[in-house]
Amino acid sequence: MSSLSQLIRNENMKIYFRPRTWLMVLFLVGTVALMSGIMKWDESRSETADWRASLTQQNEKMALDLQSSADMDEGSREYLQERITLNDYHLSQNINPDKLTLWSYVNSSASLIILVTLLTVVVAADMIAGEFTWGTIKLLLVGPASRTKIMLGKYISTMVFALLLLIVCFAAALIAGGILAGFDGLNTPDIYMGSDGIIHEGSMFLASIEKYGYNVVMLVMYVTMAFMISSAFRSSSMAIAFSLLCMLVGNTLSGLLSGYSWVKYLIFPNIDLTQYMEGATPLRPEMTLGFSIAMLAIYYVVFQFVAWLLFTKRDVAG
Amino acid sequence: MTEAVLELRNLTKRIGRRNIVDNLTFDIPAGEVFGFLGPNGAGKTTTIRMIVGLISMTKGEVRIKGVSVKDHFELAMTHVGAIVENPEMYKFLTGYQNLVHFARRHSGVTKQRIDEVVSMLGLQNRIHEKVKRYSLGMRQRLGVAQAILHRPSLLILDEPTNGLDPAGIRELRDYLRKLTREEGISVIVSSHLLSEMELMCDRVAIIQSGKLVDVRSMQDASGAAQSKILLEAGDPAAARQLLSQLFDASQLAVSGPYIEIAADKSAIPNIARVLVAADIEVLGIHSVQKSLEDQFLEITGGEMVV
Repeated sequence: MSSLSQLIRNENMKIYFRPRTWLMVLFLVGTVALMSGIMKWDESRSETADWRASLTQQNEKMALDLQSSADMDEGSREYLQERITLNDYHLSQNINPDKLTLWSYVNSSASLIILVTLLTVVVAADMIAGEFTWGTIKLLLVGPASRTKIMLGKYISTMVFALLLLIVCFAAALIAGGILAGFDGLNTPDIYMGSDGIIHEGSMFLASIEKYGYNVVMLVMYVTMAFMISSAFRSSSMAIAFSLLCMLVGNTLSGLLSGYSWVKYLIFPNIDLTQYMEGATPLRPEMTLGFSIAMLAIYYVVFQFVAWLLFTKRDVAG
Repeated sequence: MTEAVLELRNLTKRIGRRNIVDNLTFDIPAGEVFGFLGPNGAGKTTTIRMIVGLISMTKGEVRIKGVSVKDHFELAMTHVGAIVENPEMYKFLTGYQNLVHFARRHSGVTKQRIDEVVSMLGLQNRIHEKVKRYSLGMRQRLGVAQAILHRPSLLILDEPTNGLDPAGIRELRDYLRKLTREEGISVIVSSHLLSEMELMCDRVAIIQSGKLVDVRSMQDASGAAQSKILLEAGDPAAARQLLSQLFDASQLAVSGPYIEIAADKSAIPNIARVLVAADIEVLGIHSVQKSLEDQFLEITGGEMVV
């Protein structure tokens, strides 16, 4: 009987011996490099001679706003107050907040996780449907491994691939940042205001990981959805096309339907958890972080169950 | 008879209101090459796919070396090697990587075993090339290699000759013979190519519309009951009259200018003597072995009238 670890090795072999996989990695590295280059170019173009003067000016303007507009709501008031405190801290410590450090590049690379998701969705959609397209499904299933085990092996391999792309993305941004802004920036602290209203200096590494973390939730959901679609279709091009369509149309659709309250039960408005971070508003006012997490958990279980049902219960004919 | 390697009990597949496979029951003993014959759509492929778990069974049971496929799929499959139609391999992998892929699913397939199988099938020169550069014949060989890596007790081949040229078919046949001889495994082959089955199999099951019509041994097939004598006489009516004294009416038939006599060639001297004595001109007389094809058409044709 097959052991799961051997099945995972098989799936890995089928992923990494395909030239396509390495083109994807190359594409990701290229995109990170391009983005970093543009950031650097943009910085050199808009560099202001005196950042201290501009911060002071900003603070004065914000203080004026706070005084003059009495009808300002509590949230905005707090936000402005925080900005002023942060700016003061930067001025007193003589740290230019607009100067790009190595971590600025890493943090910006978190926005490229959508690309990582896209690439992994392509791989996931191909995972089961591809076997049908190649005609190898019959040989794959006629062996001492249950379909559940085969599917689990495929899912784990897909997730490991996603992890690999995330590490590549992170590392590429770190290296690009190091080259463009100097590796001495590695120790730059993360300056933020805690809930206690005091300025803290935290680890930039942890802050970046957190930023990645939110996006990884989205990645896992889309990839699991693509995996389910893959087990529904018997053609990999159909599975890939349909998965990408869901991913791209989903957000637009939920934006269009935001007027209806039932839209919050769709997966798309819940998938981006950064909407609950500071300075962002969720699609519907009644949505909370807990609600979204619960919805995502339900969708996750349903996706897995449907994928399992489609893969293990259907007859393989033709 | 030794213990059965494969047992089918009342195997049934129902799709909609039709039984694609209807109550099949038969055994395959160890070391036998068993043919599964039937016209297109008779249910051969469905039966084979039920045996290997690709298609679920509606009713009945399949046991491989006594292990139920339904209840203990993984254990039952450790005894099975299969080529289901054209062996499609991962084209972006090399032949060797493909074999490693299939070997990993079984415990105890060593590197030596892979090399042994590779050289047995004569693939050693090109085993490290990508499969997309293989010819169909080479892919077929790789398919056989994949199926026998783990020394199965039962080899299942579904339409293995589809898409092969005559040389490829012959090659495959030789491998199968070699395998049954050297590794002592049972083989079940499905095909609609009768002449192939005749050469390959020890026993043949004929199925039609999902039902088992007949199981016969190929040794019997070349025996007396399956041969006939064709006689061409100057005066067929008189000849027939005369022969009815020697044979049952059921043994005689007229086809065109010939009189067909269901008997083997040991009857020829007697027939000739009687005809010559009665002064009937004998234009030709010879014995004909009924091929599996004749039998097959006879059996399935008969069924269709009913």
